[in-house]
Amino acid sequence: MKLRSTMVHPVSHPDRVLSYFRAEWLSLLFVTIFGLIYNIGLLAGPLYEGRLAQCLYDILRGRQPASAMSRLALTYVGVIAVVQVSRFLKRLYVRVFANNTSRSMKEVIYGNLIHESKSSLESQDVGAVMTKAVLDADACAEGMRKFTTEIFDTGVALVSYIALLLSIDWRLGLLCLIFPPISYFIANRMKGLVTRTNAEFRESSGRLSAATMDRVSGALTYRVFGCEPQRDRDYEAHLSDYEKKAVLANIWAGSMPPLYNVISMSSVLFIFWFGTRNVAGTGWSAWDIAAFTAFLSCYTKLSVKSSHAAKLFNAVQKAEVSWRRIVPLMKRPPEETAQPAAAPALLAVKDLGFSYPQNPNHPVFSGISFAAAPGTVIGVTGPVASGKSTFGKAFLCEQPYKGSICFAGKELSALPDAVRQAIVGYLGHDPELMSDTIRENVLMGTPGHSAEGTYPAADDALLDSVLRAVCLDREIRAMPDGADTRIGSGGVRLSGGQQQRLALARTLAHPHPVLVLDDPFSALDRPTEEQVYRGLRQTAGDSIILLLSHRLYLFPQMDQVIWMEQGRATVSTHRELMRSNPEYRKLYEIQTSGSENVKGGGRHA
Amino acid sequence: MRKIILRTLSRFRLLTAAVILTVAGAVIVSLLPPLVLERIINELTQNQRVPAALGLEYFGLLALAGVLTACRESLLTVLGQKITHSMRSALLQKLDRLPADRLVRQDPGATVSRFVGDVDTVEELFTSGIISMFADACQMVSIFVILFLRSRGLTLLLLAVLPLVFAFTRAVQKRMLRAQIDNRAAVARVTNFVPETIRCIRTIHNLGRESYMRNRYEEVIGESYRAVNRTNFYDAVYSPVILITNAAVVAVVYVLSASGSAPVRAFFGMSVGTAVAVVNYIAQIFGPLESIGMEIQTIQSALAGVHRINEFLDQPVRWDAPEQIIPGKIQTAGGSDIPCIEFRDVTFGYDMKTAVLSHLSLTVMPGEQVTVSGRTGAGKSTMFKLILGLYRPVSGRVLVCGTDASRIADSSKRPLFGYVEQHFRLVPGTVRDQIALYDAAITDAQVEQAAVTVGLDQTIRRLDQGYDTPCTPGLFSQGQWQLLSIARAIAAEPPILLLDEITANLDADTEKTVLTALKKASAGRTVLSISHRLYEDMGGREFILS
Repeated sequence: MKLRSTMVHPVSHPDRVLSYFRAEWLSLLFVTIFGLIYNIGLLAGPLYEGRLAQCLYDILRGRQPASAMSRLALTYVGVIAVVQVSRFLKRLYVRVFANNTSRSMKEVIYGNLIHESKSSLESQDVGAVMTKAVLDADACAEGMRKFTTEIFDTGVALVSYIALLLSIDWRLGLLCLIFPPISYFIANRMKGLVTRTNAEFRESSGRLSAATMDRVSGALTYRVFGCEPQRDRDYEAHLSDYEKKAVLANIWAGSMPPLYNVISMSSVLFIFWFGTRNVAGTGWSAWDIAAFTAFLSCYTKLSVKSSHAAKLFNAVQKAEVSWRRIVPLMKRPPEETAQPAAAPALLAVKDLGFSYPQNPNHPVFSGISFAAAPGTVIGVTGPVASGKSTFGKAFLCEQPYKGSICFAGKELSALPDAVRQAIVGYLGHDPELMSDTIRENVLMGTPGHSAEGTYPAADDALLDSVLRAVCLDREIRAMPDGADTRIGSGGVRLSGGQQQRLALARTLAHPHPVLVLDDPFSALDRPTEEQVYRGLRQTAGDSIILLLSHRLYLFPQMDQVIWMEQGRATVSTHRELMRSNPEYRKLYEIQTSGSENVKGGGRHA
Repeated sequence: MRKIILRTLSRFRLLTAAVILTVAGAVIVSLLPPLVLERIINELTQNQRVPAALGLEYFGLLALAGVLTACRESLLTVLGQKITHSMRSALLQKLDRLPADRLVRQDPGATVSRFVGDVDTVEELFTSGIISMFADACQMVSIFVILFLRSRGLTLLLLAVLPLVFAFTRAVQKRMLRAQIDNRAAVARVTNFVPETIRCIRTIHNLGRESYMRNRYEEVIGESYRAVNRTNFYDAVYSPVILITNAAVVAVVYVLSASGSAPVRAFFGMSVGTAVAVVNYIAQIFGPLESIGMEIQTIQSALAGVHRINEFLDQPVRWDAPEQIIPGKIQTAGGSDIPCIEFRDVTFGYDMKTAVLSHLSLTVMPGEQVTVSGRTGAGKSTMFKLILGLYRPVSGRVLVCGTDASRIADSSKRPLFGYVEQHFRLVPGTVRDQIALYDAAITDAQVEQAAVTVGLDQTIRRLDQGYDTPCTPGLFSQGQWQLLSIARAIAAEPPILLLDEITANLDADTEKTVLTALKKASAGRTVLSISHRLYEDMGGREFILS
């Protein structure tokens, strides 16, 4: 059975429920056709069962030959088969509809999420976003599925049953139909209770999810600080609250329908009283046995269905709660506008300064000016906390800077995000690795990357070359799965230095004419650092590299050096700084000669 | 898993008994109405007046069945919640006993879906009335007895058909289970994908990989989608097959009852009333079967969920809960000859093949400040984990104040070590909770003293509710979180401080503040650090791992 497995219709207005129905019009058309056949066909059951009983009666009385029964029984089975096959197709398509809907909702949520800025994402509770994205979209789609199903299984079926009852005996039919509305009316009065307990239950469930996320992801912290027992008690309190709310919500929603059914079944008293009269020939209509059994079984089915009317309402209710929570997220995701890397060009920084909005009079740094031609490597250093990282981040334009950063004559902060992303490559302290293979982490999908997740040979070559550049190739080859090794959540299966180099390899695999690298070697030892630096220069080619570092071994090899101290910067070269800046000189000398002398403790193999 | 359920059932004995009573009551009562119907029809066919009492009896029985069903549903809901509550508690207890290694390697999202998603599938069994359907299925036995009294031939016919139905059900179930397991695994990946995206958002933006990530997400959802579609097919095909079979059996009953041949008739023959009642009973046999089939997906998810819960519960546990060993008197000012921290010829590896540390020895005397540096992957963080007692050395000993680190009870760790983690971990609660970490032994004065030491006291006091302000991610800046992390480490006034490398991106000013705070926090303590930045600023002894 091959259903449309990968294609989902784009939704025109993701913030309107109707659009999701419209996008799935084909599945819904099938649902309608087969739903109608099925539900109208349902009448065949009671009708034929009545006729079968009547036929048996006639045969036993000798009014009909035995062969009449075979013909009737065969037709009965045939009709039921047609009805049931329609039902199969209806169910199948309703679920296809729900699946596709849940999928497009999740994709809309994700498409929006991915364009949120880092700061806005950090201000949102991760657990809450997660619950929203996955659970609510599922609950919504499930509600829409039940709604669609119930329209046919309850709505259409009820109408056909009523029609049948009225056609057999309209007076008795009308009399019987008094009770189902009463039952529905009572169910409706309970609506407020159902809604309220259900909303409380959903809230408690959200709190439990958040508490679970916290308990699990903080497990190590809690263990190290010896507070696991306290956290467990807290979690137990959440569990008890959840239990209480769930019991209430489920009792009101689930245990009442049998009682509603009892109320509507009160009409059987009429059926027995008037129906038996009909059969005896003293009632409103003249009935045979077939009419009696058909009327009774039809009414029983109607009663069961009408008690499900509340179910329809509950499904819609649940879906509404979820929908209201996710609707603010349901904006049409922006078009993807990622551009190929910009061509190498001149970088001109003029009078660059930065201060935090909350502290505008105390610039972290100011007055930095320099220019760099393609292929230049600029080392940026300074004493601890001199503003190096802030300087590096200015190039990301996450917050406005003062002065100007021009690339190829264009001001960075004035460019659209996508254009700027094609110019500046940035690697911060956090390697931001994903729980995937080494290959995926480095390549992250390239133009040749196919939908099945395979990469063309050229990408393998690229992968090899960047891994070699960061001296990671041999270590990875030694792993059992090589580049297909999965590195765990956040790269936990790698050491800190391996994570750092893998992140650098990823940066190199996506060339940018300007690279800002914030302390990319901090976890590396000196020989590795030097090797990686050589690899970096070679691979980055024409890119301008700004290397922010607190270690100076490599600075003599750099084209320019920026020394930052107390918010001011000196743009110069290593040789010049060694001559003119005693602090730079001191730092350099301590690091280059010092490492052999300061060693303490023991060395161990 | 089975143990958990049994234990819960015996704990709530009264509730369990009430559930059994209402279930049995509902089963028996709902058997009776067709018998009344049989009498009514038979009277009708004999052209007799039907007494009104029969009609009342029929309705009375229906009403009683309804009430019993409502009770049964309510009680089952309560019992179901008790059971899922104990399942979650059991998972939680297991989490406490998992070795640190497992905690590090498991995706938190995947573990969370054990607690939330997988237990939910079991909860579904109760809320969607599936347990009740099984009770209805028990009804079948009694129905067979009644049928046997009415028509032997029919009973035999049903006995021949039902094994086929059962075989068909099993075949569908097996295929569904496989698809469900695939689906749950895919769901765990979907769940994990969103937090991971948030964590890596800067890289994604910077490298312009938005469309790649969207495609990946679609792929992950697609995997789950394909698994769901497989289950949809079986789910949709099951009931129709059952109902067509039902119709066929009914047809056969009538054909044989009306048969012209006398022996057949003797074997199957029924009055019209009996035929109607029998057809009613047949529906009662196929009804529960069909409902079970309708909800087969729910049952299968629950089985898959149970499977995965069992997997979680069957994981190896960490070594026997550390004995309540509290290291002897700790001297911080020096002068004691017992080292604060000692590695004695320690060899350690995460797996058997590769040793991260081999034959390492290091002695840190009270009051010393030592920075560990060394090649990437040389095992600096591993050393910390050994000291914290999260791992045990393969050979050699790791001693803290003369006691094996792995034998120190979790509860006595905090007064002993302050651990400044790489990333600050925000915990639910107030600002005070961030520092005290809910430890009742830490007084408010200690909390405030810790905040004063790291220079955060003023900032906290300026908040709306001071120390009792509920903590949200936007409350503090990156650097201030780092300060809180230090305050948390020193709140219990531990003699030993362990400083991990701080990886947060700090701006210039705050980095300076953090370093100052670290220096203050280190004063008068034995410090082991792997922070390069601190070493440059503070000096001390350097220990090089190679």
